[in-house]
Amino acid sequence: MNCDELRDHYELYALGIAEEPEAGEIRAHLARNCDTCVPGVRAARELTTLIGAAAPAAEPPARLRKRVLAIAGAQTGSRWNWSPVWAAVAAGALIAAVVFNVRAHRAAAQLERADAELQRVRSDSVAQTRELARLNEAFAILNQPNVKQVVFGGGAPQPPRGRVFLDPARGVLLLASNLPQAPAGKIYEMWVIPKGGKPVPAGLFQSAADGTAIHVLPGAVDVAGTAAIAVTVEIAAGAQVPNLPPVFAAAL
Amino acid sequence: MLLPLLLAIEFGEGDADLVRRLQRRDPRAMAELYDRYGRLAYALILRVVRDGGIAEDLVQETFLRVWNRVQGFDAERGGLGPWLLAVARNRAIDYLRSAAGRMRNAMELPETEHPALFADMEKELLNSDRVRRVRVALEKLSENQRAVIELAYFEGLSQAEMAERMRQPLGTVKTWVRTALKSLRDELGTAVPA
Repeated sequence: MNCDELRDHYELYALGIAEEPEAGEIRAHLARNCDTCVPGVRAARELTTLIGAAAPAAEPPARLRKRVLAIAGAQTGSRWNWSPVWAAVAAGALIAAVVFNVRAHRAAAQLERADAELQRVRSDSVAQTRELARLNEAFAILNQPNVKQVVFGGGAPQPPRGRVFLDPARGVLLLASNLPQAPAGKIYEMWVIPKGGKPVPAGLFQSAADGTAIHVLPGAVDVAGTAAIAVTVEIAAGAQVPNLPPVFAAAL
Repeated sequence: MLLPLLLAIEFGEGDADLVRRLQRRDPRAMAELYDRYGRLAYALILRVVRDGGIAEDLVQETFLRVWNRVQGFDAERGGLGPWLLAVARNRAIDYLRSAAGRMRNAMELPETEHPALFADMEKELLNSDRVRRVRVALEKLSENQRAVIELAYFEGLSQAEMAERMRQPLGTVKTWVRTALKSLRDELGTAVPA
């Protein structure tokens, strides 16, 4: 089809309601960077963007900002600002003070505090690196175009609720909210339940103070052969078989 | 109600610098991105899913996806806000489809999130005047015309699904869609480039 024939379908395409064969033809024109269709679809996308921006105003809760900033490892501004560089400066200042302090016992105490601060910084850094790796695994699963998504707990007045994403090559991603923290000495354990098989342990996790949880089971998973993903509360070391009824289960 | 919010948001030149800082993984850039577009994204998603808790989850997913894909964004060519809103809309529609057991459009949704598709968009697209005009234009549509636009944009229904939902012939729905889009185009003075 030529561009003149497609012109009337640009806005339908931008809205996601163009039909075949026009939708496929527009995709093909865009793929070859067509001089007519690229600006045409762009103008249509501008219109649909404005429709979205015209949604009734709504104020998000303050906690949402913290959740979003946690993605970038900056849950609180102050914590990030006191990143290793600044903490090292603080520790250095403490050490310098010690050098000029005539009272040896105070110097020792300050050195001890400086050392503790450095240890804390190192520990934070390791934790941040681990968290970043976990989020990268989550991104990788979310970004698969054919990832299978299952919703659980939707519409229930009593949480928990959320979604499970399964990608055959990259694994399982669990996103949950309204999940109270597991009791002291206990932890959440995820299970992959094969069709006609016994639950297979799929890792331990704890929910955050705000009730949200992200858990990733990296690696290949047999999506077609999986009946459900479930979560139970287990002892802190985890279990090989579930000992309690599931807190929630997402049936595929 | 939306106008003060939009007036408070800086669009245009500031986005290029913001994109560069996001690409450098500056956590403060994420805070700025949220402050600039978080409320718009939340309002859009809430309009789609109509549940505050689910909307929060989906806003977090939206920013997570933008953070992860921003390396592919051309800072000089703009379109950060429209791109983020497209991701927000797609996350929400994808959720609706999953929750309702409808087919996930695996091809179309990720495609419409590609950052390059938002390059060279008008820098002042999301300014308060444009949004006010589109709200007025939507209000001028007939009830059926407005319904089909909202069902398509905020619920992700195809024209056939809209016909079924509204218990109207498909041809009638297609006519409403076309006349609604033409009215919006005329009202907003936008035209498909020749």
